[in-house]
Amino acid sequence: MSETKFKPLSAEVKATLVPVNVDDLLASVKYYVDEEYAHIKIKDQGVCAHCETHPCLDFCPAGVFNIDRQGKILVGYQACVECGSCRVGCPYRNVDWNLPRGGHGVAYKFG
Amino acid sequence: MSTKLTYDAIVVGGGPAGLAAAITMVKGGLKVLLIERGRFAGAKNFFGGVMYTHALAEILPDYWDRRPPFERPVTEQGYWMLSADSVVRIMHKSEQYRKTPAGSYTALRAKMDPWLAQQAVDVGVLLITKTAVLDCIRDEKGRVIGVSTDRPDGDVYAPVVVIAEGVNNLLTQKLGLINHDLPPQYIALSVKEHIGIPAKDLQARFNLSSADEGVAVDIFGDATMGMPGLAFLYTDRAGVSIGIGVLLSELARHNIKPYEILARFKNHPVIKPYLEGGESLEYGAHLIPETGYDGMPKLMADGVMVAGDAAGMVDALHREGTNLAMIAGKYAGETAIEAHHQNNFSGEFLSSYRRRLQKTFVLKDLKQYRHLAEFLESTPHFMDTYVGLVNEAALRYFSAHGIPKREMENGIFRLLTKKRSLFGIGQDMLKLLRGMRG
Repeated sequence: MSETKFKPLSAEVKATLVPVNVDDLLASVKYYVDEEYAHIKIKDQGVCAHCETHPCLDFCPAGVFNIDRQGKILVGYQACVECGSCRVGCPYRNVDWNLPRGGHGVAYKFG
Repeated sequence: MSTKLTYDAIVVGGGPAGLAAAITMVKGGLKVLLIERGRFAGAKNFFGGVMYTHALAEILPDYWDRRPPFERPVTEQGYWMLSADSVVRIMHKSEQYRKTPAGSYTALRAKMDPWLAQQAVDVGVLLITKTAVLDCIRDEKGRVIGVSTDRPDGDVYAPVVVIAEGVNNLLTQKLGLINHDLPPQYIALSVKEHIGIPAKDLQARFNLSSADEGVAVDIFGDATMGMPGLAFLYTDRAGVSIGIGVLLSELARHNIKPYEILARFKNHPVIKPYLEGGESLEYGAHLIPETGYDGMPKLMADGVMVAGDAAGMVDALHREGTNLAMIAGKYAGETAIEAHHQNNFSGEFLSSYRRRLQKTFVLKDLKQYRHLAEFLESTPHFMDTYVGLVNEAALRYFSAHGIPKREMENGIFRLLTKKRSLFGIGQDMLKLLRGMRG
């Protein structure tokens, strides 16, 4: 695998993205939220503090990850659709990802 | 002290692989427990998607009489090569697709999987939902002898366990069947919306004469902003499934929100008219393991076999997965039945599961396309370059400019060589050929 082969996306192309409020999309998703157990946690906030790009803020398809004014990563696990992207995609493998407890989490109506 | 709950076989996961394994084993006389973490089988499942009936027929020969809740038969399919403002379509429509049952149907997993689960229950599978499997239980020699769950007193035992846990294969990793997590450069993150459109409007837009016709299209190029990946547009009964899938590593590299790529795609002048007035009924996301033949875990160990997404059984090129999963589940099930007959559950004995799969399209196809993921990874410009080119060439070809046609042809050729050297084109084609031929 070679990093250099990838062209960066040009600013013009990026500018054609259509801004979306992810909450509008998630309104259609059915959840059985487990209020007592967060199945996703940050292993070490110190690692996130040193992360320059915070890709999780963008690639998470449910916008689970947010960053506060102090630079701390906040995990809104309630919105998680359990795809696993953060576990795999975090460049520092700093996401502690577990299955929600049985019966909890997303329950697709159509799938 | 609770009594030890023992079965002939335990299946982890109520998707196509797990259900196929469970049905096969029950039909072979085994007492089977299937454990599903969702509220129902299919609650966590999400795909494009198209299902292939050949696989269902192998699991349930009378599946058609059991009225599977398909959306539409696929009677027209193909590729759209999308540039920023135009499209070149390669579509195949054939009377050959008009069979009942058809070869493939669009489907929605939260309807399909519960139906398949009901068939499993009807033949005698014990299905336990809302229960997450936390780990495999192993004896002192490391052999898998059961699983622990998140229920109180939730340990259950069986001499053979089929793991069909899906793409997030935590149990498979814990067992050491693969020594690393999914590599993000070989994993596609797909996001999809199911958009409701009245059947009458849908049929008019897609040129379908009735509910017995349907379209499945894979779309390249501008749909994923030139990043390695694809978009899809499938007709459901009264609506469409529309989505994009992009390598997770690319999304991370570019700090891009996948649903904004989807929104951009939906807004494309070629796509938008199909969705007009539609109502977004559901959004979701799923990972697709495109790790390929060389990235698969070991398929078995003492007392355990792995099937489906958990084992990376996806043919990304032909958007096949559920059929590979079902066939793998079936062979895992047959192997478990034989293991019971011989009273031998060793990894060595269970390796006949892999040998059986090697004789089928499942491992043959995965093997053939083993270099395809590398090809896409090492040639990320491929789609973008050629899709753009095809559209520009088409525009020149179909326009009358008042110039001699030979000049037009030369212009197209120059367009090609400007974008990519002839040597580069040759390399791309060779690599593609290698990726396709295996």
